[in-house]
This record gives sequence, C-alpha cells and structure tokens, in this order.
Amino acid sequence: MADIDKRMTLKDAVAKFIHDGDVVYYGGFQIHVPMALTHEIIRQKKRNLTTIESSTDVGGLDIMVGAGCVSEIHTAWIMNWYVKAPYAIRRAFNEGKLKRYDISNFGATSAMMAGFLGIPFIPIRGNIGTDMLKYNPMDLKVIEDPFGTGKITVVRAWRADVAIIHAQKADRLGNVVSYGTRGVTDEFGAMGTKRGVIVTTEEIVEPEAVRSDPDRTIVPYYKTLAVVHCPYGAHPSACRGYYGLDIRFSQYQGRYERYADLLPAFLDEWVYGCKDQAAYIEKYKSKFGQEGLDRLKPKLGFKPKMDVDYGYHDPTCWKGVPMYTDDRLKAYEDAIAAKKGGK
Amino acid sequence: MADYKLTELMTIRCAREIADGEVVFVGVGLPIMVAAYAFATHAPNMIMMTEGGAIRATAPPALAITVDDPAAFLGADAAFGMLATMAALQRGEVDVAFIGGAQIDKYGNINSTGAGDWSKKESFTYFAGSGGANDMATSGKRVLAIMPQDKKKFVEKCEYVTTPGFLGGPGEREKLGMIGGGPNCVVSTMGVYLFDDKTKEMYLSEYYPGQSIEKIKANCAWDLKVSPKVKETTIPTAKELTILRALDPTGFYLG
Repeated sequence: MADIDKRMTLKDAVAKFIHDGDVVYYGGFQIHVPMALTHEIIRQKKRNLTTIESSTDVGGLDIMVGAGCVSEIHTAWIMNWYVKAPYAIRRAFNEGKLKRYDISNFGATSAMMAGFLGIPFIPIRGNIGTDMLKYNPMDLKVIEDPFGTGKITVVRAWRADVAIIHAQKADRLGNVVSYGTRGVTDEFGAMGTKRGVIVTTEEIVEPEAVRSDPDRTIVPYYKTLAVVHCPYGAHPSACRGYYGLDIRFSQYQGRYERYADLLPAFLDEWVYGCKDQAAYIEKYKSKFGQEGLDRLKPKLGFKPKMDVDYGYHDPTCWKGVPMYTDDRLKAYEDAIAAKKGGK
Repeated sequence: MADYKLTELMTIRCAREIADGEVVFVGVGLPIMVAAYAFATHAPNMIMMTEGGAIRATAPPALAITVDDPAAFLGADAAFGMLATMAALQRGEVDVAFIGGAQIDKYGNINSTGAGDWSKKESFTYFAGSGGANDMATSGKRVLAIMPQDKKKFVEKCEYVTTPGFLGGPGEREKLGMIGGGPNCVVSTMGVYLFDDKTKEMYLSEYYPGQSIEKIKANCAWDLKVSPKVKETTIPTAKELTILRALDPTGFYLG
C-alpha cells in the first residue's frame, strides 16, 4: 500500500491545485463552509473561477466574488443570512463582472449527483414552468420523457475540476471523515471532481482510526489532493462537534460586504493581513477577545448510545465441513443423476 | 384576551394547517417553530423532514438556526443529506411544505431570486435564490407560504418566477406534469389566504385582529377577492402561548 502523505500548508495546497479558470465545487452549506480556503484563494489572487454548489451561507462566496476571484457561479441559494443579502454578488452581477446561473436546491444537488454518477444529465421534477428554466438554459432543459410520461426537466451534470471542503477529521492519506449532516452535498461534489479534493480539517487522525469506522468517510483517499490541518477552518460557519456558528462575526463581515468601498478594508485586515488561518484566529482574539471564541464552544457529550461492532465472519470455517443433506434431497438428486446416466 | 406577538399568531395559525401523522417538510425560520409547536400540541405523530437532510419523529431538542444546524440533527431518526429528504418530495411523500419568498402574485407564484428585470443586468437586485422552495412547491401535496405583506410584495405578477404556484391559471401545473397540488394557504403578516378551486386565484380568508379588509386590500397590488365567509383569525389562547414560548425562551424566532 502506498502511504502517500498528502498533508501540506494552506498556501501550498491552493498554489499547487487551484488554477485560474478552474471550476470549483464550493463545499458546505450553512456549516462546514471552507472559509480558510476561501481566504487563501483570495490571498493568492486566483482569477476567473467558476463555482458550483447548491446553497451557501455566511458570505464566503460573496467575499470571493467581491475580491474578484470568481467570474461565474451556478447556485440555488447564496447569501450571508445574517445580513439577508448577497451584496458583493449583486454588485458584480450589475457591473457585468459575474455570470450567474440559477437553479433549485434539488436541481443543483441532482446536477452534482449526475456528476457523481458519471452521466451527462439527470431528470428532476422541479424548475419547470419558472424563470430559472428561461434564464438558465446552460443547466436546465425540458424534454419529453422517452418512456412516455410527458414533459420532464433535465439538468446538466456538474463536474468540478477541484473541490474545496472542510471536514471534522481526515487522515494523512486523504480519507475525509464528516458526520452529523453527511456534509449536505459534499460527498457528491467531491466525488464528481475531475482532478480531486482539497480538504481543510479540524483534526488529523491516524488511517487506522478512519478504517475502524469507514461508514463516516465521505471522500476516500484516492480522490484527495491535499489535506490541510486547519482548526477553525470553517469560521464563521459552524463545524459540528468543534464550534458553533459565529452569528456576530457573520453580521460584522456582512456589514462590510454591503458596501463596495468598505469590503476592501475587511479583506485587507482579515484576509491579506493574515498569512494563514492561525493568524486569522489570533487577529480574532485580539479584536473580539478569547471570550468571542469561547462563546462558540458546542455542548458536547452526544456520543452514540448504540454499541456498533463491525464484526465479520471467517469463511475458512467451512473447510472440511461435509455438505448438508437429507433423505428427500438425496433421493431426488440420485433419481436425476440416474436419468441422465440412462440416456 | 391574551397578549401576543404577530410572529406568535402566525406560528400558531400555520401549525393549524398540519394534521397529525402528516409528513411535513420544513426550511429554517418560522417553519421550525411551527413544526416544534405542532409536535407539542395536536400533531405528536407528525413526520418532520428538513432541507438539510434530517428525518425526525420528534422536535429538535434545541433551537436550530440553520437548515443544517447540528441541533436539527440532534436526536434525529435519520441524518441523511439534502438529496435524500428532497427526493421524498419527488416521490410524492410530503404532505405539507412550508416556503417563503420576497414576492407573491395572485396565482401563488413566488419570487425569491431578485427585483427587476433579470435580462437588464445593471438594475436587477439579486436576493438569495430559490433554495429548496421551487422543489417543495413543485412536488409537495400542499404548499403553505409564509409571506411579509405590502403592495410591493403582493404583486399582480412576480418580476421573476422562482417557485411555481398555479403559474398562469387553472390547468397549467398539470400540463407541465407537476405532481404536487400547488399552493394551499398563504399566511401573511396581515391575514390568511386560500385559493379558489376553479380560478386558482388567491383570496382573503381571514384577517388578523387589528387589521381590516380595506387595509389588507390597500396592501395588495391586484384586485383582491374576499371570501364571503371571511373572518377574524382566532387569537392564540394563553395556554397555546405558554407552550409556544417555552419552545423559544429567548425569543430567537418569536422576537
């Protein structure tokens, strides 16, 4: 077994695996938003990215658009819920700097499912009859069901070049462990990628630990390009079992997102002004205090109460055990054999 | 008479639309409170599905503030993902789906994408987008919309149709093969609306205490029809309010 250690710094992971013009699966939803990776993409001034995701909150994609990294988004829902708008995206669209393709949540999730399945498109029930269908012919069409049930919407498969996701745990080989919500759509977005996955993780665990509980693996090692140990890598969104959603910081960031003149100051202070996520967290503590971070501590103690043993059975126990039979079965089989022999 | 907030009245009114044993699909915001309240009162056998992927026989034991909030999954019967619960919509398993939006028109079509003409990019004001509302409204057996009301939000025709109501009128959903029954009820900040079986047009069924039909009509951009049986919404009892407030002791949702 090749033991390839894929751990690297945030900086190296983005420099090595994200290229200008890439299609990027943007992970998470309202939790597990890959914010540290978002900041690093902004710091490295990546350009002309296209993003795909179903829904995304806390303004991560909004500041990435505001910083000029993204030229095209395919989405069902984007905003910073805590200021109730996608301000930078709105401006970029108005200025003609951003193409936006709208679809419903199930449409987007299905598009990634089609990518996951390796098929070109997938039929779904929604989007038909609406303006999303009218204005997003790139992702949505209506066809006649070839099996005769009538009209049906089809959605184009989405396959990213690279996925950026955040998860609770990963091992050095690149096995990604996420639990509690199954990452909403991360397993499909990640598995559908053409090149692979960059993951930031709260904790690096041993491969033996992952292999003792493989049901929780959402991305297996061979799909992973880089593993970045990155505590608080989803802040200000939540990471289940590690920290809760930072509502006050999301609102704070959102108020900067709101004004074109103000957003660069936020980026200077919190993104360009921090060399990595550890520096960002230090800045947080110096500005809003350790008590700000302490407030995010989750209530713990919700371990599974069901004892699970992934036991297996050893088939070598059958060696030397004679065939089970009885008189009826034996008589029948003997009669058939005699008939065959008689011909 | 009990003293109550508008959010409390709306939550309790919405909950009355849920029958015990039904499959209820909830997004975040007031619908979470509606579901928790229904569980605690008349619908203990409700099946709750969330957009984030939880399937629950019980209300979340703590306040969930996002669709994929850990609290929404805490003690769930199944923690799937978005694909799995939204697939239940497509299979026709969902009895009631709760949605919201920024604009609604007389056929119950909803806009949550933006204000203005989308093809005039320089002046279109983007909102968040569909999220799961389109899917819920396409395939849920009954759809309940919770809407803020004024003349800019209750419009003759949505500037952008994100989520289908009855589209242009009777028969249009069927022509497109939609399996869901379409909008069933709208609970606004001023009153409650139902849809005419024949014309599919939305009409006023109830007004909240303190509102008047004239005031409600003035906050609606089309010539709103009013049920001959229009009545004032029954106000919450003290007992109902006690149960509801216990579910949100800090007023996170209810204010």
